[in-house]
Amino acid sequence: MMSRNDEHNEFLIVGGGVAGITAALDLAETGRDVQLVDTAAFLGGQVAKLDKIYPTDHCAFCPLWTDIKKVRDHPRITVHTSSTLQNISEKDGQYTIVINKVHPVIDESLCIYCRRCLQECSAGAVRPLWEHASPPSFFIDTSICTNCGDCVDICPTGAIDLNRTAVEIVLTVSDIIWATGFNEVDLTPLPEFGIGTHPDIMTSLEFEEWTAEAGRNEGSIIRKSNGNKPQNIAFIQCAGARDQRMLPYCSAVCCMHALKQAQWVKRREPNVVCCIFYTDLRTVGRDYYEYAIRQLEGMGVHLIRGRPGLIYALPDGDGIAVTYENTMTQTREIARFDMVVLNGNLRPSQAQTVEGARGPSLDSEGFVDTTRDDLSRFAGGFTLEPADIAESVIQGSSAAIRVATKTAYKR
Amino acid sequence: MSEITVLLCRCFGEIDQTISFATVREKLDKDSNISSSICVDSLCIGRDIDAVISQIRESGVKKVLIGACSGLARGDQAVQNLMDRGIARADIHLVDLREGCAWIHRDNPDGASQKALNLIDMGLVFLKNKDESDDVSVTMNPDVMVIGAGPAGLAAALSLGRFGITVHLLERSSTPGGMLKLITRSYPKDDATTPRLEQYLDQIEKSSFVRFYPRSKISSIKGYMGNFKVRFSSGEEEQSITPGAIIIASGAMVFLPNGLFRYGELGNVISQMELETRFKKGNVTVKNAVFIQCVGARCKDRPYCSTICCPSSIKNAIRIREDNPDTNVFILHRDVMTPGNVLEGYYIKALSRGVQFIRFAEDNPPVIKGEKIIEAVEVYDAITGHTRTIESDLVVLSTPLIPNHDNQHLAEMLDLQLDRYGFFREIYPMHPLETRMDGVFICGSARWPVSSGQAITQGEAAAMKAASVVLKGEVRAFTFSRVPGLKFGHARVTPDSCTGCGNCMAVCPFDAIRLQRIDGKYAYVSRVNKMRCKACGNCVSVCPNGTMQMPEHNYLSVCKMIEKAF
Amino acid sequence: MTVEKNKIRQPRILVFACKWCGLIGADGAGRNRVSLPLNFRVIPVECAAFVEPDAVIRALASGIDGVVVMGCHVGGCRFNDANHHAIKRLELLGDLFDTAGIGRDRLMVSFGTAHEDHQFADVIRKYVDRIEQLEPLEPWVTSLVKK
Repeated sequence: MMSRNDEHNEFLIVGGGVAGITAALDLAETGRDVQLVDTAAFLGGQVAKLDKIYPTDHCAFCPLWTDIKKVRDHPRITVHTSSTLQNISEKDGQYTIVINKVHPVIDESLCIYCRRCLQECSAGAVRPLWEHASPPSFFIDTSICTNCGDCVDICPTGAIDLNRTAVEIVLTVSDIIWATGFNEVDLTPLPEFGIGTHPDIMTSLEFEEWTAEAGRNEGSIIRKSNGNKPQNIAFIQCAGARDQRMLPYCSAVCCMHALKQAQWVKRREPNVVCCIFYTDLRTVGRDYYEYAIRQLEGMGVHLIRGRPGLIYALPDGDGIAVTYENTMTQTREIARFDMVVLNGNLRPSQAQTVEGARGPSLDSEGFVDTTRDDLSRFAGGFTLEPADIAESVIQGSSAAIRVATKTAYKR
Repeated sequence: MSEITVLLCRCFGEIDQTISFATVREKLDKDSNISSSICVDSLCIGRDIDAVISQIRESGVKKVLIGACSGLARGDQAVQNLMDRGIARADIHLVDLREGCAWIHRDNPDGASQKALNLIDMGLVFLKNKDESDDVSVTMNPDVMVIGAGPAGLAAALSLGRFGITVHLLERSSTPGGMLKLITRSYPKDDATTPRLEQYLDQIEKSSFVRFYPRSKISSIKGYMGNFKVRFSSGEEEQSITPGAIIIASGAMVFLPNGLFRYGELGNVISQMELETRFKKGNVTVKNAVFIQCVGARCKDRPYCSTICCPSSIKNAIRIREDNPDTNVFILHRDVMTPGNVLEGYYIKALSRGVQFIRFAEDNPPVIKGEKIIEAVEVYDAITGHTRTIESDLVVLSTPLIPNHDNQHLAEMLDLQLDRYGFFREIYPMHPLETRMDGVFICGSARWPVSSGQAITQGEAAAMKAASVVLKGEVRAFTFSRVPGLKFGHARVTPDSCTGCGNCMAVCPFDAIRLQRIDGKYAYVSRVNKMRCKACGNCVSVCPNGTMQMPEHNYLSVCKMIEKAF
Repeated sequence: MTVEKNKIRQPRILVFACKWCGLIGADGAGRNRVSLPLNFRVIPVECAAFVEPDAVIRALASGIDGVVVMGCHVGGCRFNDANHHAIKRLELLGDLFDTAGIGRDRLMVSFGTAHEDHQFADVIRKYVDRIEQLEPLEPWVTSLVKK
């Protein structure tokens, strides 16, 4: 079945989000050895941080954790979390990769989640790893930690070692799949969005975390500034995206993301007025358009076509003013909102290399250029092309088969 | 008769600071079922497990009940530690005393101790009445069947061929290519489709692993993952194959806008596909071309966006402008659906080539003026608020893809789900190509309208999934879960008491149950396909006389657990 | 007052929790040490569809005051559409309880609403409160099962 050559292949997957996880599982299931590297302390990437996913409105974590468990338990997959790429060198078609693995101060395999370190720590450096991490564990924020050693003394299992240092691991792989996903771009260079001027102007991922059911507010919709229930929320689409000054492309996921968030606001607080300011409502997937229609008719979410020209905190220190032109009625308006959610400022994560190290070739927008015949041949997920969960998973699988059969595909 | 050892994990005081282990053990020691109760510091970290194991060995007791934390926390590790030391999984039962009792009742230690005792009692009866499902193993057939030889199907077949997997590629028409045969260029690179298609066909021909069956018609599909039995006719020949996995890449059809925008009434009102045909014959020279988007899509009848129509119009608009820069091209749209990096760049390219985009509202669509030929298109520009009259001699209606008619037939044969429009439905977004039947994968426009590039990506991804099925070799039914290690058995029928009512068959979400005629009698009995069964228990709930049981968690143990609950 | 006397003092509640949703909520509640009333016992099941109507009746007959069934979101079931069947079946059982005079309050069906710690706690607390308002089951119900 498999040629001899293939059997000794080992692959590196950079990024443990949905695309990386899928690619790793697919390769491992067909008998390849996989090294999975992620900078975060846990697998799951951005999807793990989401509260709900569209269009099914299910919790994001449910379908994810079983796949993470599969990856963790799979004999052919080696997971390196909290690891960054240090160096990549190529010789005879094999890549030698040096990764810097920061062992967590609290050893996950020993932590029994007893909370004693949390109670003992006066600096507040101990935090739960992730709401749904299995097995649950804590981590120590080394930037706050005072190295007092109280937690080490109180830990019943000896899981804490404050002196744990990073180690360098050298891997030899035959190919690399880039699945580094996306991160948010700082919107401060675009002052019209008013980010930073008011605590209630936040980006959509912040809003997702703020209102998450598993988060600190347990799913209640409250304002960051004073903890009250907002009267109205504005969702601003294409903030930073489709904008030649920042991101010239469309981030593809934000329209549905905003619709989803507006829907969940409406489900939890039916009286809150939700307005979505959009340019084009890009609802191209299965059930996406009906999802949008349901918004309009069933829930009373207002859709306004227009890009706000200026968003600023009102002098009373409470509300936020949004000035915009409703391009469908050609009227210029100014409205007061209690919360503003900015959507669209998503950028492919640069591969997690340290400065100066060789990474994948990128195109002008920062996406991995798979047309080059070098180490950037294989990529999947948002780092290849703005993609939602389903699309990322598909790209992950397709990158996996290309890497397994050594066929570069010219897009 | 004592047959169970109880292991109580203190969890370094986390459990026994609330639950009084002394009380619990005192009660447990009186129970005749229990040989001994052992209290340890921790079972997951494993410092004193070896001592415990030797103690269990000495007593000669097989079954072990663990009172520790929940399985999602470190309980699974505790179970694993015991399994590593030679105790069978079937003889271990984990009772959650930490998350499920100690930590949530810290204000009431007495009550918590009582509850812990009840929980242990429930666990004991569960463990005592637990039976074991008999396992079967199945060898995965090494072939894959791909239905449809469009871009998705071709990509899937070629990828599998590179893997060294034999592929049966079935196609309804006489030549492969699907939609690629109809169009001349593909977006967003504007590269010609013919060379790519020829390259594919060449590879298919050269590949010793791909068998192409033209003019084929499937008559029946039976079986399950790893062992499908397919009968079909290819031309005149009757064929029968036994693939291990099936990839559905049967594509979609183009919607014809009959009766919309005076299509069929005026000569130069054509659909997008007819424009592609004209391009196939040669250049299209017109003075003013108008594209109308969302014709028959995002409306009441078809409330979905077909993904490909906006980029297709942009592609053809750019082409018309490039062939003849004097032509004015207008795209009348409701939203320009070009998500992502590449497509947004394509949209910007169209703008820079001078293609004019005019937005209209759904309730105020454009009107085509003219008696016998098109004279003008009148459209209310929603952005400027003015009604514009565009002189035009060609109107292209951009229509959506609609599902194939025979999707229903295929879905019935394989027990798949279709969505409300008629496309094949996946199980959930995290597994976008997998269907409710294991071993059957969907890709391309059969799943949802996609461009040829995306179809190729999906075909490859589906090939990867199919390869991971057929390369498994021999598989035991117990591992046939969507989550390895978490399946706990499968339903079992007692044939003697089965009345053959068929309730179980009606509710089984995996189509795992069939009624079988008893030889020589006009009576039926249920049979469970162990490879398909995922042990959800739906059949158990509807069985009128308790014939259908889940051996691991049978009705008797549920009743006993209820009795012991308080 | 005599009415007070008839109220259930310490209700006994049986929870059938699906391993993919309700049990995760229960686990989260424990993990975050949410304080909960003592009155419930959880039986983990693979899927809500496993819960037999017969078992629910049996539970009520053997002295349990209320039964909660927790499953996944509709459409989010691990077992394709198994929980659709479960919902239909349990709704029907609720109707049966109404007809029989037991009252559908005795059975609570909660799908997709208990997958977080505080939601699980909420479901349990509210249900305990509700059962406390009810009178004990009539003797004919509890005599259905011979112990």
